[in-house]
Amino acid sequence: MPREAEPSLNERAFVVQALQEGLRIDGRALDQFRELDLKFGDQYGVADLTLGKTRIFAKVSAEVTTPYTDRPFDGIFTITTELSPMASPSFEVNRPTETEIMLSRLLEKTVRRSNALDTESLCLVSGQKCWSIRVDLHVLSHDGNLIDASCLAVVAALRHFRKPDTSIEGETLTIYTPAEREPVPLSWLHSPLCVTFSFFGEEADIVVMDANLLEEQLRVTSFTISFNKHGEICQGAKLGGTTVEAMTLIKCANDALDKVKELTTWLDLKLVEDSKRRDKGGLMAELSAENER
Amino acid sequence: MTVNTEPQALISHLPKADGSATFSYAGYTVVGAVNGPIEVQRRDELPEEAAVDVIVRPAAGVGGTRERHLESLIQSTLRQIILVNNFPRTLIQVILQIIVAPENEYVNAKITQASSNLPILPALLQTAILSLLSSTLPLTATLTSTALAIVPDQGGSNIVLNPTAREVEQSQSFHVFAFTSHNELILAESEGSFTMKEWDDVYARAYSQCCPPALSSDNDDAMIDDQRSAGSDLRHFTRSTMEQKIVSDLYWK
Amino acid sequence: MPLDTSSAYPLALLRVDGRRWNDLRRLHAAVRTQAAADGSAYLEMGNTKVMCTVTGPSEENKRRTAASTATGNTGGAGGGAGAGGAEVAVEIVVGGFSSVDRKRRGRGDKRIHELQTTLSKALAAALHTHLYPRSTIALSLHVLSQDGSLLAALLNASTLALVDAGIPMSDLPVACTAGLTSAASAADDPLVDLNAQEEQELPFLTLATLGDTDRVMVLVLETRVQAARLKDMVDLAADACKSVHKSLREVVRRRGEHMVEEGAVEKGASMAMDMDIDV
Repeated sequence: MPREAEPSLNERAFVVQALQEGLRIDGRALDQFRELDLKFGDQYGVADLTLGKTRIFAKVSAEVTTPYTDRPFDGIFTITTELSPMASPSFEVNRPTETEIMLSRLLEKTVRRSNALDTESLCLVSGQKCWSIRVDLHVLSHDGNLIDASCLAVVAALRHFRKPDTSIEGETLTIYTPAEREPVPLSWLHSPLCVTFSFFGEEADIVVMDANLLEEQLRVTSFTISFNKHGEICQGAKLGGTTVEAMTLIKCANDALDKVKELTTWLDLKLVEDSKRRDKGGLMAELSAENER
Repeated sequence: MTVNTEPQALISHLPKADGSATFSYAGYTVVGAVNGPIEVQRRDELPEEAAVDVIVRPAAGVGGTRERHLESLIQSTLRQIILVNNFPRTLIQVILQIIVAPENEYVNAKITQASSNLPILPALLQTAILSLLSSTLPLTATLTSTALAIVPDQGGSNIVLNPTAREVEQSQSFHVFAFTSHNELILAESEGSFTMKEWDDVYARAYSQCCPPALSSDNDDAMIDDQRSAGSDLRHFTRSTMEQKIVSDLYWK
Repeated sequence: MPLDTSSAYPLALLRVDGRRWNDLRRLHAAVRTQAAADGSAYLEMGNTKVMCTVTGPSEENKRRTAASTATGNTGGAGGGAGAGGAEVAVEIVVGGFSSVDRKRRGRGDKRIHELQTTLSKALAAALHTHLYPRSTIALSLHVLSQDGSLLAALLNASTLALVDAGIPMSDLPVACTAGLTSAASAADDPLVDLNAQEEQELPFLTLATLGDTDRVMVLVLETRVQAARLKDMVDLAADACKSVHKSLREVVRRRGEHMVEEGAVEKGASMAMDMDIDV
């Protein structure tokens, strides 16, 4: 299959030398993210995130199923990431690449293992019925920093999502359609977000946030750390590569916390904006529903 | 839920793919990307022509038989209009990512839908065409596609153009047609029970929808307005979208 | 479900397995355990037991390179093969009998995949791969028994096997885990070299350093912990890595001495000499 084009030696030398002089080729500061944009869909739980030229689409869906036999009180929560050739022809269908595995593992650790979503709240009838919440992540365009962007998109989509309302009377479980009752949000405990640092130079002493694809191809190693705004680390991963001074990593963690706080505020703002927009739409929808009858 | 009746499209918006388009119409939104001609895997290689690979990905869940079915329909259609003989031993990859599909508000949606496969087909085909145009692969013709349903209506029945999810569910039969820009029928898929007479009616309706009389000269203005009111003219839409794109691309000239 | 490790600790100042907070478990290692391989090692960190064999550097395998998990050409740094240097291909087999619950792990297990990639990238950075362009160094790791600190044990075993194979490296990559007795209180005590029970309920991280420096090769933290505690954990783990480094050097040195004593060193004679100089 076609391979990702590798940067030429000239490009390599140019980018690295520029970084040594404290400059990035797209003119950003070393700790600056590219322009972020987030759009929510008409349906609940649909988030379309753009980070520079990287574009991620996340969709959350809910379904009632039977829980796993070994965890009768927990609902099911899965995040699927399948990179299609749309992001780059080097991704093949049904054959996960290293990028994809690392991405899904990091999201799993950041969002799922840190208990951001209270899975016990998804239980309807213990051992028999529970909600299965599923996040599908689609990378529409890949220009670096998939991890941070995906994490942001997943968290945004999950916080935006509303699942159908349910009620239990005696033995009967009723699931209301969106037309009958307004859907309810998920029980969301905290919002973990990832920040990835890329390191450059022989000694890995040049630290860069939000690397684009070219920078990602040239970096000597990377370090991804996830925080929530309460200052808890949810996950940290520096998986091999050139060695980095321990103090540098600690400093990265502190920078990441500031960045995560900034991103969380931004995300909160976007969610509030959307709910305002939706409120207007909600009135409109009611009116049109009446017209139908 | 409000459904936009006017088609909307965005062309060449994905920086990585060779060609790309987002198309929304009748409640569906599909993102398409085309890569090609690229290296083909040994086992898929065709010595005389380009292999066309279509990948349909649902918004939620992993692709199953439904997606494979749609892929095979689209693949055989696109093979006819792409000049595959120009690129022997290569691959043309068409990826269609469904972003929004209309949901039936009155039924709790399941991730894997047991309902009909076909309603989304026109949107997928249209997206594929726009993406192919954006990738500047040579085509013999463009195509336009439409969906129709025969819905029972007080004893009789009614042909509904671009039916909603609810109408599809209530319909007796459901049809998808695609016509090339030479007014030739290239795809006809039908589901449900119907008579030959009904099929002929539906065909005639689809033909008038997809193959409007050519906009030959300026004094046809009245005709154009007629067409517009009957429903949106997708062929004209495809053309004007491309024209707009070219105008904006050549703005610097 | 919570075990009583945290409450046991302040009473007797001992952990569940009777260690003090800064005690490593018994580290037993043997080098050259399989005569057929280019390099091999067996390592025990307490009840975590792993075996490693190294094949190579050998000719780059075209098909393998395409399918390998270890190629680094899909973004990020890694041990990509080609003209630049040897590719480090890591394969991990976790025995079904290795832990208490006999669970079959399929080939598609992403956790194993992640471990493989981590090891491959870490080792590629420590080895002088540029000396072997267009070749593959294949490591095959077998997990015989699991009792915490798995990644650390795997990395340490790989280091020994690579030393045995005589592949030049800048220093011995060593790894260890460090944890905290409780995440909430500020006065919690750190622990090193966690066993499976402790890993289940305490926040911990795995740290790999190059030799006894403070340069971090791998840092894996998978549990929630207060940001302020990171530094303590890293410091402690780095110290623990230094002790591990000492033990591994001792193992390598003993092996070298043994080879010289035997006098019948059929392979890697120069290596034994190197060891002597090194000590």
